[in-house]
Amino acid sequence: MKTLKKIVSVAVALALIATAVLALASCGEAKKVKIGVIVADATGSEALSFRNYYKEYIEQNYAVEFLYSDALTDAEAEKAAIENFITSGCKAIISLASADRPAQIEQCEKAGVYYAVASGVLNDDEYAKYKDYKYYVGAIGPSLDVEYQTGYEMAKAQIAQGKTKFAIYGAGVGYRIDMHVQRTAGMLAALCEDESTTYGGVSIPGAIIGSLYTDGEVSLSKFQSSKYELVGYHALWNFGDATWQANLASVVAAEPEVILCAGTGLSVFGQAVSGTNVKICDIDSFTSDYATAMQNGTVTYLAGKYASSIGPIFAAVLDAVNGHAVKTEAGEALALGQSYWVATSYAQFEKFQSADSVANPIFNKTLLDTVVGDSISYGTFKTFVETDRTPA
Amino acid sequence: MNTPTLSKTKKTARGIFGTLIIPVAVGLILWIVCAANGVSMFSNAQSLTIFVRGVATVMLTTIALAINLNSGRFDFSLGSVATLSAVISAQITLNAGGNALTMLILSIVFGILLGAVSGGIYVLLRLPPIITSLGVALLYEGLAFTITKGSNVSFYGKTDVSGITTNVLYMLIIIAAVLLITIVLFDRSRFGYRYKALMAGQKVSVNTGIKEVSNAVVCYAFSGALMSIVGYLTATSVGIISVDILNFGSIGVMFSAFLPMFIGGFIGRYSNDKLGYLLAAITMTFFSMTYSALSVKSSTQSIINAVLLVVFLIYLSNEKTVKDIAALKHIRNLFKKKTDGETNND
Repeated sequence: MKTLKKIVSVAVALALIATAVLALASCGEAKKVKIGVIVADATGSEALSFRNYYKEYIEQNYAVEFLYSDALTDAEAEKAAIENFITSGCKAIISLASADRPAQIEQCEKAGVYYAVASGVLNDDEYAKYKDYKYYVGAIGPSLDVEYQTGYEMAKAQIAQGKTKFAIYGAGVGYRIDMHVQRTAGMLAALCEDESTTYGGVSIPGAIIGSLYTDGEVSLSKFQSSKYELVGYHALWNFGDATWQANLASVVAAEPEVILCAGTGLSVFGQAVSGTNVKICDIDSFTSDYATAMQNGTVTYLAGKYASSIGPIFAAVLDAVNGHAVKTEAGEALALGQSYWVATSYAQFEKFQSADSVANPIFNKTLLDTVVGDSISYGTFKTFVETDRTPA
Repeated sequence: MNTPTLSKTKKTARGIFGTLIIPVAVGLILWIVCAANGVSMFSNAQSLTIFVRGVATVMLTTIALAINLNSGRFDFSLGSVATLSAVISAQITLNAGGNALTMLILSIVFGILLGAVSGGIYVLLRLPPIITSLGVALLYEGLAFTITKGSNVSFYGKTDVSGITTNVLYMLIIIAAVLLITIVLFDRSRFGYRYKALMAGQKVSVNTGIKEVSNAVVCYAFSGALMSIVGYLTATSVGIISVDILNFGSIGVMFSAFLPMFIGGFIGRYSNDKLGYLLAAITMTFFSMTYSALSVKSSTQSIINAVLLVVFLIYLSNEKTVKDIAALKHIRNLFKKKTDGETNND
């Protein structure tokens, strides 16, 4: 009986020690700053490259833990995801979802949780309203002007090559996703620079943008030109839908010389254009599928973001969480622009692809550490973000 | 001697008319609508391929849904079975360097397994199928996401695995084979007789020695096989498997098969319900081709499909009244009653 008591006592003591050790260990882990990341796309190549950079590089080099949402397609889902993150103890939210950014900002401000926009920016009205919010860190990414310009330059490059027969893939224009609307508007505006060409009877960029927001699509009947042909339009990602598939095939069957894509063009059209002379121009990221497509000539133009381009917004968030938020000279939130890398050949593509990887990102710890600290000026941060890092 | 022959001929003619009226009428109306707008349902070389592929996917999904729903088993996991079987077979095929046939066979094998597991969970837990199938859908959606580490499966540049979906003949063979196997299994085999007996009265059937558990599991497994072919056809035709279906993103597939199932059931009264599902699939694909030709927005398509479903259900629920009205019987009866009343008064 005594022996049994001893065994029980030792077991209880060991259990208590183990519990204490575990508690201490978890205390150590609790020092990690939790950051919630809300995403509209969870499975696309660009989304995954961003995620890998945060989860596999940043988490290994900083005392932070990223919690990711599922793909969020509406404002209600975004709100629920942010609530979950706040409940889980997140100190900041980084947003890659844009169904209702004002609501996201308000929600984080009320909860006292820092909020930042990655790989995008607020529009002017939104920035004017939220720039002084205490917990709004800011936005770093291609501005809407850059998005517009990217679509515009893509179309201009094809026009310069003598192309006259186009199709457009608007991606999320149907959902009024700002960046896709702007890119598509840029493409149309480039075509409308020709005197005989109009869209909806106008050629003014603002009117084209307005028309796309109103219609939620590019209407082929609105495109009038004696120089160019717009023979097809497709959008969204309804892969399992027979109507969507039929429309995709009819765009390819119309034999455009090139399909100008506002994003994810290779995923949507890659299979359909194989064996044809139809080329794809796209805005996406530098992944292996694009490497194959550029090598075999299916994709002839790619404007891409690189994975670690979301490094600077992380640095800004970390500074804010540590109590040293970087603000403009006027004490306002950050609003800094980034641009795309454009590859028009496989050699160029290879150079870009090898320049930024999870193991060796452009925004690596050494570089990020130059703006993580307690006395980072706005000028230093701005230069850090806006320095052209395109591989030579 | 002439009377039975005439009656038989009349019955056959009625059967043919009832079987073909919906697809033929819908096809004609939509053709006129397209022509009036200066477009065509079959406007390019790819149209026939897309049409046949559409018929195949709608027919298979409809049969997969009807097999269990006819027995009162709602199966929300259909879409998730299609995605997961395609994901697993694609991963194996792409890594091992297989071809289209390899992937199709692997898809069917995994579809049968996943369907059987779904059925097994239902018979083991003895919970309402609506609950177990929702759980299975969540599980399979999560598994598809986990296996691919959240990345969509891309077939870009892998032309070896997409050979079947670009060949009309192969897809016609799939349609014919599935139709034949389904008719033999459910209308001409001992299993099928037992399945129908269970549908008609489960308690009585079980008391006569029919094993309802194994029958249900086989139904789920067969349904899984059909959905795996749907998963294969969809994946290889568009060149990508989207695993962005977490939190019930896959259950829409089941709802898309409701209208063709009701249409197929209606046609089945005049011939065979499986043939009805094929003709219903043809009808629905006419709609898809028309939407594409007329560039109808997806939101408008949803509204039209919903209205069609509701109108068809209203018709089915009030069929006798509608037929009477169409035959002016109501008016005749009213007139007759009035006349009889006047005669009696006299």
